[in-house]
Amino acid sequence: MLKKILFNNQVKSQLIIAVVGSFLGFTFLITSIHYLIRVNEFGEGEEILGSNSIIIQKKVSNYNTINLAKTDFGENEIDHLDQQPFIEHVEPILSNSFGVSFQTDSDLVPYFRTDVFVQSVNSDFLKFDSTLWKWSEGDEFVPIVLPREFLVMLNTFASAKGLPQVSDELAKSIGFKFKLYNDNSSEYQAARIIGFTSEVSAILVPSSFMEYGNLGFPTAVPAKVTQLMISVKEGSFGTFENFMEERSLESKESSMIVGKLKSVAGTLFGVVMAISIIAVFLASLVLIQYAQLIMSKNAYEIKTLLRIGYAPKSIIQAIIAYFIKVFALISVLAAASFISLKFIIDGIMIKGGIMISSSFTFLSFSSVILAFVIYSAVNYWNAQKEILRAR
Amino acid sequence: MTITFDHVMPHPLSSIQHGKDSIWGNAFRLEQGQKVVLNASSGKGKTTFTHTLAGIRNDYSGNLLFDKQAVRDITPEHWAIHRREKISFVFQDLQLFPELTVQENLLLKNDLTNTFTKAELKEFLAILGIPEKWDEPCKLLSMGQQQRVAIIRALAQPFEWIILDEPFSHLDKANTELCLELINARCNTLGTGFILTTLGDYHDFTFDKELNL
Repeated sequence: MLKKILFNNQVKSQLIIAVVGSFLGFTFLITSIHYLIRVNEFGEGEEILGSNSIIIQKKVSNYNTINLAKTDFGENEIDHLDQQPFIEHVEPILSNSFGVSFQTDSDLVPYFRTDVFVQSVNSDFLKFDSTLWKWSEGDEFVPIVLPREFLVMLNTFASAKGLPQVSDELAKSIGFKFKLYNDNSSEYQAARIIGFTSEVSAILVPSSFMEYGNLGFPTAVPAKVTQLMISVKEGSFGTFENFMEERSLESKESSMIVGKLKSVAGTLFGVVMAISIIAVFLASLVLIQYAQLIMSKNAYEIKTLLRIGYAPKSIIQAIIAYFIKVFALISVLAAASFISLKFIIDGIMIKGGIMISSSFTFLSFSSVILAFVIYSAVNYWNAQKEILRAR
Repeated sequence: MTITFDHVMPHPLSSIQHGKDSIWGNAFRLEQGQKVVLNASSGKGKTTFTHTLAGIRNDYSGNLLFDKQAVRDITPEHWAIHRREKISFVFQDLQLFPELTVQENLLLKNDLTNTFTKAELKEFLAILGIPEKWDEPCKLLSMGQQQRVAIIRALAQPFEWIILDEPFSHLDKANTELCLELINARCNTLGTGFILTTLGDYHDFTFDKELNL
């Protein structure tokens, strides 16, 4: 009966406008938050290096070739880079100055031996358990991260010999060994693959192993820092790319692509999210005003209900319950539209080669619940104020 | 419930000189069960009096008490309890819901306390001569018929006092007598009283007390 009294003479067109506005705002809000999260996750888990980590080096020109320009980084240059606001962390990549060769040490794979180039990277840049990334003299094996091209090469070799090819998992379980040497001595160290990378062309080893080799098997060639590992702040790849261009620095293009994609998509979804928040805010404002209009239009009815003995609480509840139902309907419709939209957007992304997780994000749905709670609280407070004013 | 007026003076009436027997600015009590009349011509403040008793107006000096409770201190939630169980009103503007039927108007009130059955409410309509109006929207009723519906609605609750603000202004003598009889009978059943404001007519009823403005 209360509903009949309070909501009989509504201006439905205003309600419909507010509902449509809220529905669009909510749909875009869930969608943008969901894809903002998924875009930020994009690229994670596929690489040993963090998705914001890249390796940079100086561009090699003819001047370098004739020794007029340096290709290595000095301490001052490293410090200068570290101070840039868009750079989170800089670490030099140490290269070997000792002779090193790498060979298979297992019956499962054919004998294969090659001279290699090893580098060491701080464990902060690697996305696996840092306790695995350590070595000290006397350890059973040296943990290594192998360039993926190396495994491809090994498989090509196996294929040519008519032997079975080696998967990532099998490669991790078979034995390899390094031969460390200089003109005077040599030594073997067992090695075990703990991961693969497409970003680095050298075999990655822990820095303690690098120091051991450089000290134990010194050669006339000094160890120089020609590459740096850099961690770029989230969404700053555009600025960083300009900086690299100005300073004649370069990186492997593929390592930049994920970061750039994330920057662009993240900015786009960020803008959509900002617009959605404004839309939700404005639509909620219209809905709250609509609730106020209902109360103003029904001032006589509310006053009369109070005068015949209805408790303010029961009238407030009747009004709030109505708008909670309206808001719940908007939320359900927005969630359903988001699910359909997600199906379409995920399909477009997969077609474009962007593989993102297809699961739903908790935070996107939480944003609707939060907006719902805030709206209901403001509406309750408003209704209470209006109804207690009536006598 | 005793109603005590302790030098109550509505602010809009404070500049006017009131007599020694006026309800304004003097002290008096209304005891439970009394049948009280306030007889005055139009514009003298009868509605100010009923609205002050109903807690609708708080713009007065002095103290108005229900037993020992100051009326201006009653919270909105407690007013709901008072208006449901202790004090009932027939307002001069009736305060019916014009879009609702007579039945809906009566049940809206009656359902708060389940005082009467539908059959009893219909019986009251019959007593007051409008049994056929049960399903008619109130907006289609004449003022006199609406007054009778408002009176039945006010009776459809337990109360210690019923305040009636010119409830018979659109009724003829015979219908007025029927209404007053019904109100009096209900008050006698409950052992309660009423305060009736009228426009110079005592309706051939013997009141326990008369108030003056």
